[in-house]
Amino acid sequence: MLNSDTLNQAPVPTMRKVGAVLVAGAGVSGIQAALDVANSGFKVYLVDKEPAIGGRMSQLDKTFPTNDCSMCILSPKFIECATNPNISVLTESEIDRIDGEAGTFEVTLTHKPRYVNPEKCTGCRTCSEYCPVQVLDPYNENLGTVKVIHLPFPQAVPAVSTIDPSHCLFLSRQACQICVPVCRNKAIDFHHQQEKSKIDVGSVILSPGYEAFAPGRQAQYRYGAFRNIVTSLEFERLLSASGPNRGVLRRPSDGKRPQKMAWIQCVGSRDTTAGHKYCSAVCCMYAIKQVILSKEQIPGLDAVILHNDIRAYGKGFERYYERARNTPGVRFIWSKASILRENPETGEVTIRHRVNGFGIKDEAFDLVVLSVGLTSPDSNRQLADRLHVETNSHGFCETQPFSPIETSRPGVYVCGVFRAPMDIPDSVTMASGAASFASELLSDQRGTLVTETSYPPERNVGGEPPRVGVFVCDCGTNIVKVVDVANVVTYARGLSGVVHAQEETFSCSIDSITRMVATIKEKGLNRVVVAACTPRTHEPVFQDALRQAGMNPHLIEMTNIREHCSWVHTGEREAATAKTRDLVRMAVSKARLLDPLQRLSYAVTGAALVIGGGISGMVSALALARQGIRVHLVEKEEWLGGLGRRIRSSIEGGNVRAYVRKLIREVYANLLIMVYTESDLIEVSGYVGNFSSRIRAGKRGAVKTISHGVTIVATGAEELKPDAYLFGKDRRVATLLELEEEMEDHPDNLRDCSTFVMIQCVGSRDTERPYCSRICCTHAIKNALTLKKINPYMEIYILYRDMRTYGFREDYYREAAEKGVIFIRYDADDKPDVEAVEENGRSFLRVTVTEPVLGRRLMMDADRLALGVATVPSAGNSSLSQLLKAPLNEDSFFMEAHMKLRPVDFPTDGFFMAGLAHGPKFVDESIAQARAAASRAMTILAKKEIMAGGTICSVDGKKCTGCGVCQEICAFNAIEVDAMAGVAIVQKALCKGCGLCVASCRSGALDILGFSEEQTLGMIEAIMEGAH
Amino acid sequence: MEAIAPIKEVSDLIRDAGGDAFKLCFQCGLCTVSCPWNCVRSFSPHQMISQAKFGLADIEDEAWWLCSTCNMCISRCPRGVSITDIMRSVRAIMMEYQYNMAQPSLRSAMGSLRGNGNPWLEDREKRSAWKQDLQLEDFHQDMDLLYFPCCVPAYDPKLRSVARASAAILQAAGVRFGILGSKENCCGESVRKAGNDELFESLVKSNISAFEAEGVREVIVSSPHCYTTFKEDYPGFGAQIKVFHMTQYLADLIDRGRLKFRKELRKKVVYHDPCYLGRHNGIYDEPRKILGSIPGLEVMDEIDSRENSLCCGGGGGRIWMETKKGERFSDMLVDQAISLGADILVTACPYCLLNFMDSVVTADKGDVLEVKDISIIVQSAL
Repeated sequence: MLNSDTLNQAPVPTMRKVGAVLVAGAGVSGIQAALDVANSGFKVYLVDKEPAIGGRMSQLDKTFPTNDCSMCILSPKFIECATNPNISVLTESEIDRIDGEAGTFEVTLTHKPRYVNPEKCTGCRTCSEYCPVQVLDPYNENLGTVKVIHLPFPQAVPAVSTIDPSHCLFLSRQACQICVPVCRNKAIDFHHQQEKSKIDVGSVILSPGYEAFAPGRQAQYRYGAFRNIVTSLEFERLLSASGPNRGVLRRPSDGKRPQKMAWIQCVGSRDTTAGHKYCSAVCCMYAIKQVILSKEQIPGLDAVILHNDIRAYGKGFERYYERARNTPGVRFIWSKASILRENPETGEVTIRHRVNGFGIKDEAFDLVVLSVGLTSPDSNRQLADRLHVETNSHGFCETQPFSPIETSRPGVYVCGVFRAPMDIPDSVTMASGAASFASELLSDQRGTLVTETSYPPERNVGGEPPRVGVFVCDCGTNIVKVVDVANVVTYARGLSGVVHAQEETFSCSIDSITRMVATIKEKGLNRVVVAACTPRTHEPVFQDALRQAGMNPHLIEMTNIREHCSWVHTGEREAATAKTRDLVRMAVSKARLLDPLQRLSYAVTGAALVIGGGISGMVSALALARQGIRVHLVEKEEWLGGLGRRIRSSIEGGNVRAYVRKLIREVYANLLIMVYTESDLIEVSGYVGNFSSRIRAGKRGAVKTISHGVTIVATGAEELKPDAYLFGKDRRVATLLELEEEMEDHPDNLRDCSTFVMIQCVGSRDTERPYCSRICCTHAIKNALTLKKINPYMEIYILYRDMRTYGFREDYYREAAEKGVIFIRYDADDKPDVEAVEENGRSFLRVTVTEPVLGRRLMMDADRLALGVATVPSAGNSSLSQLLKAPLNEDSFFMEAHMKLRPVDFPTDGFFMAGLAHGPKFVDESIAQARAAASRAMTILAKKEIMAGGTICSVDGKKCTGCGVCQEICAFNAIEVDAMAGVAIVQKALCKGCGLCVASCRSGALDILGFSEEQTLGMIEAIMEGAH
Repeated sequence: MEAIAPIKEVSDLIRDAGGDAFKLCFQCGLCTVSCPWNCVRSFSPHQMISQAKFGLADIEDEAWWLCSTCNMCISRCPRGVSITDIMRSVRAIMMEYQYNMAQPSLRSAMGSLRGNGNPWLEDREKRSAWKQDLQLEDFHQDMDLLYFPCCVPAYDPKLRSVARASAAILQAAGVRFGILGSKENCCGESVRKAGNDELFESLVKSNISAFEAEGVREVIVSSPHCYTTFKEDYPGFGAQIKVFHMTQYLADLIDRGRLKFRKELRKKVVYHDPCYLGRHNGIYDEPRKILGSIPGLEVMDEIDSRENSLCCGGGGGRIWMETKKGERFSDMLVDQAISLGADILVTACPYCLLNFMDSVVTADKGDVLEVKDISIIVQSAL
């Protein structure tokens, strides 16, 4: 039901809402939003103007701060989108207009003519081999070439070739057409026309992403003029294994391996002359990443980063920065750069930069990387205009305070960089948040448009001797041009247990699958071997075929004779064919031993436990309650609101106090939310969908038991009370939050203050807490601006190490400077001194600091001092972490399942986190994360039942000694030694079948179903035996 | 190290003199690493700005006089700090407190401007003597344009040819223009940059009265400095004139077919972008269009051209000041033109011309490289 308290929502018309959502833009944000929405019970249309999904993240080499391979963590999500029956992926498509109201939109789409039929193309790339024309490859930022007809990139979904119409000889000049007959599946059709379609949806999520700043517009960078100057995105392609140099770092002019490199920061960001005054939020971090990766490849590399501030503000970022700083041969220099000249012979680029505050130095580099910013391209603004969505002065999507996800048009939500420059974790978080809005809006239509595929009942193969069918794929020409497939098929027929073997041109094509299903039924096959490409993308396809044929989906073994054979042994036909026979023999040997694996289903308790009643806890609780979920909100204090009670305003001018009061009212007014104040959590037991927890509730401490399906941890954080700079010893020294409270409650106290000093990074970014507290730079500026309102003549000094006003907060840094606030940079090794002084009848706090540009000690006699203190983890985190069996990170904040792509999930299924418990963040960011936690929780609660089982761990109770090593090792809390039984018990709902416990078991009591010891040893024996 | 307190009185003084742009500076250092002075000596504008902010500026430091207002720093400054305004403000303070802080040659030029309307102590009445035998009319209201030559072509014997060539071209194109002769005086741009606001104001007001008295509405100038001050500063004093630089006007005449080149000029030329034409006003293409239209001419850019071009050293009032040998940007530019194989170094600013001619003489390369204004080149091809 639509709740009229939700900001900007229009009243619902009497038409029935549509249980479908359109996601515009299929980068990582769009993909995450689509998956959450689909898994919450709605139909999703995932639209992108490019031929494949993936956006900018698909072009990155690795991601900070984990150095994960970008494609490795992203492409499984591609597969999820492709195989989810409730997601329609519509690429090469754009939105024309959206008519209607929230809940009942009609979207008009334009579909570009693709000339390649996605139903028939299997991505085999034979067409590319024959195409005669090369063009610059846009995926590789024009650094390499590709054929006019090509697969956008190797892992593209949909894996459908695309044609560049302006360079295609047929489309531009009616010549050629070689690709048409060459395609064995007849997928190419030059008669395709542009088409339009109309779709009915209930909600739209905008995630159109960004374009990198084009530095050619600024002559100072010599981009395009000097050969060895590249943008950071080009550099990602140079580093990438799928890039033009196959991951071997070489510079463009002559292919030389660079020995000396420079990164220039803030190109096109924080720059009036570039037309973009905001900070792009990610460039400091990606440059550090690129330095670390380059050093890994070229250990002797001399790497210089020329920066203004280093904005390593996120979780784990400061440590990553420190790691780079401590790497020999890496220099961080506080200076912008002037590019002077190129040496025509050596190709070296000479740059001038500042040293030590006021000297200068010229240095020559082999390769220079421009860290370009994130811009909102004109196409985004035009899209927003067509959709009647407002944009802000920077061209990004406009939102309201405390509502970072709702656009100006009800029912249309935003996530990702179109909202503001942000990194991947924040994009993914906001995407889940957007999903929760759509889910809430369309809650009463949940499940109405989803398709459930129905399958015939499973045949019981128990007791039957193995009847193996072997399908060997040509993969178009990919496999068959290297491997003698006919020979392998003949060989397979002779293997024990095999009753059918055949060659297929494309096993994954629709007609092939239909044939496979028919063959299984006709021949009574009870095991299947498919020798083809990678199970990563195709196992679900064949498992589905088995289910269609009435077989248990675990009775298939795939062997990869493409990536593991034909692609790596081109030109070695005999050896490759022999290897393929070995691989098939191994696969057949395992197939004979495969057992059907069952999944159990169990019902999900449609309730949630939210631990912590601050802003995040309340936002999550309301988001879930409005979708009909009962919520138990547990808060240890007497009142709700948490740290939010102390914050007066946000820097954008939002009234935090009023917002918190509104949340509290709404929480108490909502009948589905049970509030327990002055309450503690005693115990949590159970597993995802089926938790049972006990709390000690209220003053009298009565013990209550709560059943719930999910748990959200929103326990907040605390403000450090430091032992530094006379804090606690002198009443004139306060924290920024204390100052904020005082300015609002007692502004007169500050009117006569003539000099005010703020010292940043107190307790953060030091050996005890090597993390950044993210909000304090902005907080100091917010307070400084308020002080200037109280007394415009007040001298305000802010002593900082880096000013981390990322994104649009940069505007406020500038505003403070315009109003005369003075910023002084200090070094971690040379901290300011504070002394209480009485002189000439006056009493003040004397602050001395070394000013790095003047090279002098400056002295300010301050009336008041405020400290930007660290945000520290809640004192209760460590005991809560034991209770939940949820790990804490090195800094004692809760640790998420994956820093980049699962920033809201705990490693244990069914647990989610939001707000300061995850790490320091702004109120808006907490709100986004709280909505994200609700969305993630909803993907579980929306299911009527959860399936558990399949390829999971099994315990042989007779061998188990109950030593507990497996319990220690398991990352998912999926195995536990039962005290009574004395043996390990697997929690089927949580086990991922990763095998870690199996490898650690000293008694050999554990095994993975579907990858058993017997099956695996059998494969090894199969390799050893047998003639080729 | 002894600690010192910021001196608010000094920073306020600089702020009130027009230098409050220092507030915005976030000390990135781009101005310093971009400034051409660092090619020949050490010069740290970002440090000077920090000094201004804290009131710890050494006002007597000769470094405050170095800035030629070439705008390399301003064109790149990410915060949009008006760095040259800060330099100007400190100079203005120096002028007020201790007039003899300025160099003698500058003081002499300023005295002459005050008394004679030109910087060389020449007679005011001789301002139009450059026309000699050319049939040029005094400006009157029915004319389209006033031609304002600039003190340098008006008086300097080496550069009178610029004024004469410009006038000849306009005549050949059938433009109805006139001159004001001694009714006008120096535009004053250089002394404003040198910090002498009071002298600047009197020069401006005197010119504006002359323009109003004669009914001047549109002006064409040879100097980008005159162009800039007429465009940016004069309106603030009530002027209502529209100004064109010679290169803009000639490029337009070529577009409309009113200027035809009948002769060939088989020469290699290097075109130098003057700071006040290029970086200050974005006029890069028009001079190139003109040169590109001249038959037989091979036109080259300098190694650093357009937005990146190196200042000749003449702006900011420095044309009236001494620059030490070894620190002259124009020497470097002349060397560069020679190494590029140019016959002629062409530009469109009288200060650049003076400096380049001087450099050619001191390097004794008069037989290797000629220095010419674009108007001379155009006239020779008509």
